[in-house]
Amino acid sequence: MATFQAVKKVVTLSPTVRTLPSGIPFAPLLNTAARAPHDAHGHGAAGPRSDVAPRWVGGISLSSAGLVSKTSTTVSPSVNFQQRFISTSVARKDAPGVPDFSTYRTNPDSNRNLSYFMVGTLGVISASAAKSSVSEFLQSMAASADVLALAKVEVELSSIPEGKNVIIKWRGKPVFIRHRTAAEIEEARASNWQAFRDPQSDEERVKKPEWLVMLGVCTHLGCVPIGEAGDYGGWFCPCHGSHYDISGRARKGPAPLNLEIPQYEFSEVEEKLVIG
Amino acid sequence: MSFSNAIYNTVFKRNSVFVGAIFVSAFAFGIGFDVGVTKFYDSWNKGKQWKDIRDKYVTAD
Repeated sequence: MATFQAVKKVVTLSPTVRTLPSGIPFAPLLNTAARAPHDAHGHGAAGPRSDVAPRWVGGISLSSAGLVSKTSTTVSPSVNFQQRFISTSVARKDAPGVPDFSTYRTNPDSNRNLSYFMVGTLGVISASAAKSSVSEFLQSMAASADVLALAKVEVELSSIPEGKNVIIKWRGKPVFIRHRTAAEIEEARASNWQAFRDPQSDEERVKKPEWLVMLGVCTHLGCVPIGEAGDYGGWFCPCHGSHYDISGRARKGPAPLNLEIPQYEFSEVEEKLVIG
Repeated sequence: MSFSNAIYNTVFKRNSVFVGAIFVSAFAFGIGFDVGVTKFYDSWNKGKQWKDIRDKYVTAD
């Protein structure tokens, strides 16, 4: 009966509720160190298994008190025991079996320069492409050559006698050109211009005192004033009665400002006037 | 070796110098490219442009 009990104990394994300090579950009858034999799965093995300890080093025996595990030696029971770990060792650089590849490796310094040069070249090309696209786009908004050619008007000054007015068309607007006499210049300069509605001296309004060039558009509502008329010997706007003097300054009537002076210049020894 | 090291130390080492060199050379490259293309265009179209044949038609001025 006792034998039966012991056998029963062998078959009914105790549950592994306890864990050893090493982390292995406590299983008294389970040999966790046993490995498979190296003899081709045990077929045709000659002699004792090399990984099974011989009987004289100890083992499990059955006694009347139950299973007894007894170890007579202190060394590892298996003869060629070798624990396998995951290897963390690094390869030796001066390993004798590895050939010397240093002649095949590229020069890190010149490689670095070439890489930076390539990056810089790409930057140069893309920067100049960006600059050129921006500037071409801005140029597309500029006036074209034919528009610029129409924007200027040339006037032969020698054909205008002294004391006469000439009206020409420039950019759709009339332009008055007056060849002033010396008396008119004197009159324009002698006036007390600081007291005018739009105070401006005659020197500010003309580049050469004998030539007065102005836009012939009344500053009140845009009519074209009549020359050599009005109370001041200059221009008179028939629409609402504005009077301009011989320098084109507003003197009387509703006009708020003097007649506008366009951009002009004399060219080729005063023979021509270029407006625009 | 020392030459490439000198280039690296003068141009590439500081990013500010690198970017500045890129912008300066982009400016120079743009001008050079423009001049080169214009020269090539003029030599390719020699005798066809107005500035080449102007002397035949405009005598005065």
